[in-house]
Amino acid sequence: MDAISAPDRARFERHLAGCAECAREITSLREATARLAAAAAVPPPPALKARVMAAAAATRQRPPAAEPEAAARGWRARGWRAGTWRPRTWPGRRGRLALAAGALATAAVAAAAVVFGLSNGSMHDQLTRAQASSQQVAAVLTARDATMMTGAVKGGGTVTIVMSHARRELVFTAADLHALPGARGYQLWLIGPAGDRAVSMLPPGRHGMTGPVIAAGLRPGDHLALTAAPPGGTPYPAGPMMLDVVL
Amino acid sequence: MTAINRPGPGKGPLPGTGGDLAACLRLVARGDADAFDAVYDLVVPSVFGIVRRVVRDPAQSEEVTQEVLLEVWRNASTFDPGRGSATAWVMMLAHRRAIDRVRSVQKESERERRAAAADVPFDEVAEAVESSLERERVRRCLRSLTGLQRESVTLAYYGGYTYDQVASLLGVPPGTVKTRMRDALIRLRDCLGVTS
Repeated sequence: MDAISAPDRARFERHLAGCAECAREITSLREATARLAAAAAVPPPPALKARVMAAAAATRQRPPAAEPEAAARGWRARGWRAGTWRPRTWPGRRGRLALAAGALATAAVAAAAVVFGLSNGSMHDQLTRAQASSQQVAAVLTARDATMMTGAVKGGGTVTIVMSHARRELVFTAADLHALPGARGYQLWLIGPAGDRAVSMLPPGRHGMTGPVIAAGLRPGDHLALTAAPPGGTPYPAGPMMLDVVL
Repeated sequence: MTAINRPGPGKGPLPGTGGDLAACLRLVARGDADAFDAVYDLVVPSVFGIVRRVVRDPAQSEEVTQEVLLEVWRNASTFDPGRGSATAWVMMLAHRRAIDRVRSVQKESERERRAAAADVPFDEVAEAVESSLERERVRRCLRSLTGLQRESVTLAYYGGYTYDQVASLLGVPPGTVKTRMRDALIRLRDCLGVTS
């Protein structure tokens, strides 16, 4: 049902690998689950078919599986079709892919830390936590064009940004942000020629760490900015910029 | 490829087409566009239906449906009949992609608002669908579940929630949800007469 979280799924799949009985039960339950989709059946707009057929004609197919290491092939496949394509097959393979994604994300963070001369342990931990928190975060961190930036926040604290231009997304985390006076909080913005867009209010920090927060829909020339805002935020960036990073 | 036995327009997408679908997928794996055309017709109502149930937004549902069909096209060679039916494979891809979409795109607040509307989704499902034997059967089987079982299954499957989210929505411990969900699926399986 895809209702289990990634770590649970990994544990579960390790268990399944050693339990034929369970695997049989899962297969039969999966068949039952598929029938639930039938109960929701509804025809799509007719125009969709032409689009799908055209897209298929322009999409290379995966060759039949001959190599044993499906996970590695999956990653190569992902590589040559950069973008949002994520090859998926059965859960076992997916599980390995997920694990591979996790490993890769960690490797990407470690590599970025080396490249950018960051020996800062907390930043590393922060990003490791970030990659664990969601697939979207992991997708940005593992993007082939992922770049990492850091910046200092006026009043205290540092931010770490990992950005993928290809995905037009970035992952924002912050460490040691100072509490703002009153009920004010930090509001994250994308500011640029395409207009000023509020990303979100930053969630309250935990153990000095804030985020990760995803900012999607990056446009050329955007800056990432922080303002001090009343609860709920402001519709336009108001007051002094606490942070301004050119993306 | 004229050997493909295409379903008539009035025929439901499931069941009875499982064998045809597996045969079509083998041809699709070799790049047979006609077979893919047939696969599209066989699966798209169920794929679009479940995607729309989970994703809700019509435009995004079309996008995800297209992604699912392209995934079928691209990965047809990886379909392994030894691990389940072709229908189950496609529906799993569809459900998974739909869930990926809502989990990555939807902000928590929107999901919470949606939860309020997710009360008895299977009735809503039933309303939206033209009458079909399969739908009636699934509906009857859903009705045979206990309230908590049904809510757990519908929130998890049609709502795209995790066990933990279902548990907090229903105000019961996660362990209870897992047990109820498993009981519910076993009951559904037996009620639907799933054999594989």
